[in-house]
Amino acid sequence: MATLLLLRSPRLHRSLRPCTRPAVDVPLRAESHGARLLYPDHIPTTPLQKMLLAAGAAGMALYNPYRHDMVAVLGETTGCHTLKFLRDQMKKDPEGAQILQERPRISLSTLDLSKLQSLPEGSLGREYLRFLDVNKVSPDTRAPTRFVDDEELAYVIQRYREVHDMLHTLLGMPTNMLGEVVVKWFEAVQTGLPMCILGALFGPIRLRTQSLQVLFSELIPWAIQNGRRAPCVLNIYYEQRWEQPLTALREELGISPPPKHIQGLA
Amino acid sequence: MAAPRSCDLWRFCGRGWWRATGHCRLPGCRRSWPWATLGTRSLSQEKRAAETHFGFETVSEGEKGSKVYQVFENVAKKYDLMNDMMSLGIHRAWKDLLIRKMHPLPGTQLLDMAGGTGDIAFRFLSYVQAQHQRRQRRQLRTQQNLSWEEIAKKYQNEEDSLGGSLATVCDINREMLKVGKQKALDQGHTAGLAWVLGDAEELPFDDNSFDVYTIAFGIRNVTHIDQALQEAHRVLKPGGRFLCLEFGQVNDPLISRLYDLYSFQVIPVIGEVIAGDWKSYQYLVESIRKFPNQVQSFKAFVAYNKVPEGEAQASHVSFLAFQEDFKDMIEDAGFQRVTYENLTTGIVAIHSGFKL
Repeated sequence: MATLLLLRSPRLHRSLRPCTRPAVDVPLRAESHGARLLYPDHIPTTPLQKMLLAAGAAGMALYNPYRHDMVAVLGETTGCHTLKFLRDQMKKDPEGAQILQERPRISLSTLDLSKLQSLPEGSLGREYLRFLDVNKVSPDTRAPTRFVDDEELAYVIQRYREVHDMLHTLLGMPTNMLGEVVVKWFEAVQTGLPMCILGALFGPIRLRTQSLQVLFSELIPWAIQNGRRAPCVLNIYYEQRWEQPLTALREELGISPPPKHIQGLA
Repeated sequence: MAAPRSCDLWRFCGRGWWRATGHCRLPGCRRSWPWATLGTRSLSQEKRAAETHFGFETVSEGEKGSKVYQVFENVAKKYDLMNDMMSLGIHRAWKDLLIRKMHPLPGTQLLDMAGGTGDIAFRFLSYVQAQHQRRQRRQLRTQQNLSWEEIAKKYQNEEDSLGGSLATVCDINREMLKVGKQKALDQGHTAGLAWVLGDAEELPFDDNSFDVYTIAFGIRNVTHIDQALQEAHRVLKPGGRFLCLEFGQVNDPLISRLYDLYSFQVIPVIGEVIAGDWKSYQYLVESIRKFPNQVQSFKAFVAYNKVPEGEAQASHVSFLAFQEDFKDMIEDAGFQRVTYENLTTGIVAIHSGFKL
């Protein structure tokens, strides 16, 4: 818990809410009924709120795919069982258990960019940086977890989100709609998170027929095959493997190279 | 922020000193606790030790202003959409009722405080325009001729369709005013509007300059409500009217429960899905419950009258009539003939007072 607090960017947190209990039966926030704030950005929610949020987030994500925060919210509100399963998976594996213990975060403040730049071509670190540059993304655009009611599971889902970019690098998929759908298929098979499954099933709705053809004929079978073959990707301590060549890591995980260069599509 | 600090100075130097003597809104003990607060309040002009509520949080008074500013900065662009979603469109009927109650005639000078996106001001202008047209038609029907000036102006398309009315929209938040100005252009309101950036506790207007002062869904966000009321009293002309549209306490227990359920369960979710902002909307629904500081007055009532706890809880619905509390506050500021009208079983109330 302390590591989470330290690694967060400094902000004034109103997390020390005094539990003012008037004698009157004024409806209070869920937290004042006993649920404290478990981590800095925690927003306690009732089951009804979680259901409404899940439905609303799913609808909004479909209506406006640029609302990445809605996809994140959908994941948080629907994933409680799966996250527990994933956490247990992580505990069983030695590298995963180490991650749970040390709670590393991938963000611009924790990454040593100059060191990653200096790594040889073809290494994980260098390829990851290239991926960030080519697609013009940053690891800091991930919203923090808010609606998960368990502090460890909140970290698990945060780790899953940060690993998402690493998966893009491993699978060689760009961040356009098609690439995202392929990665979602991979993640759906790997993690079983309801949000991934929903994203995998409904994501293709927004693609052009040209891309759909490629998707169904080649990319999805490839993603499913690799997803089944690879061990749980959350168990890889990426921060300790920056120097490892990407091809070697792919071999270790049993990920075959992508079938086609799909930069032009979607 | 400069505004709250100058407010602090102002309070202690002049206007608000009587506030420091503390008063509770109870039938038996008005202004009877001067000793309690004078001793405990420090007169430092740095960070005030005084606290106030920000929704269900307790924050220092200096902080509340900036927090509220941030909330409205975040919600400004989607403010109207969220209003529609939160009140299922009923807020339009409430605002229409307010204008109908006001019944402004052409030539009225309106100050719409916390008027941000301009809902009240636009309705006022439409109403006044319609009234002006009716008056002209009535004149023609009774075969009174228009004056030569009016006929000349008509031909030159210069006539003032508002009859000299002016709506001044004042808000502390720049973002809200921006949205309001854009809306005015979109809806075609070109004349009769003035947009002013100002603080309700310290209005940038002269004394006795407006005929009507309205504040719709804004007064619960003000840190020092009594000061805002005093300012309202100051800027109104003698004979001017104060109108406040604000959320109130629902008296019916069943509706109250449904309303609470909807407010606390559904509204923050809608805020998150549509605007990506849970916390601002949670603040908005909480601020409705905390206005005015009913907890304090209730506890005081219990303590002073030694009411047993069980009985106190049972009677809370009838006692915590915000509408009555706020009426007293308005009377304290110097307004007379203060009345209120509950709308939609008390979910909102229109308070009205006159400066005589």
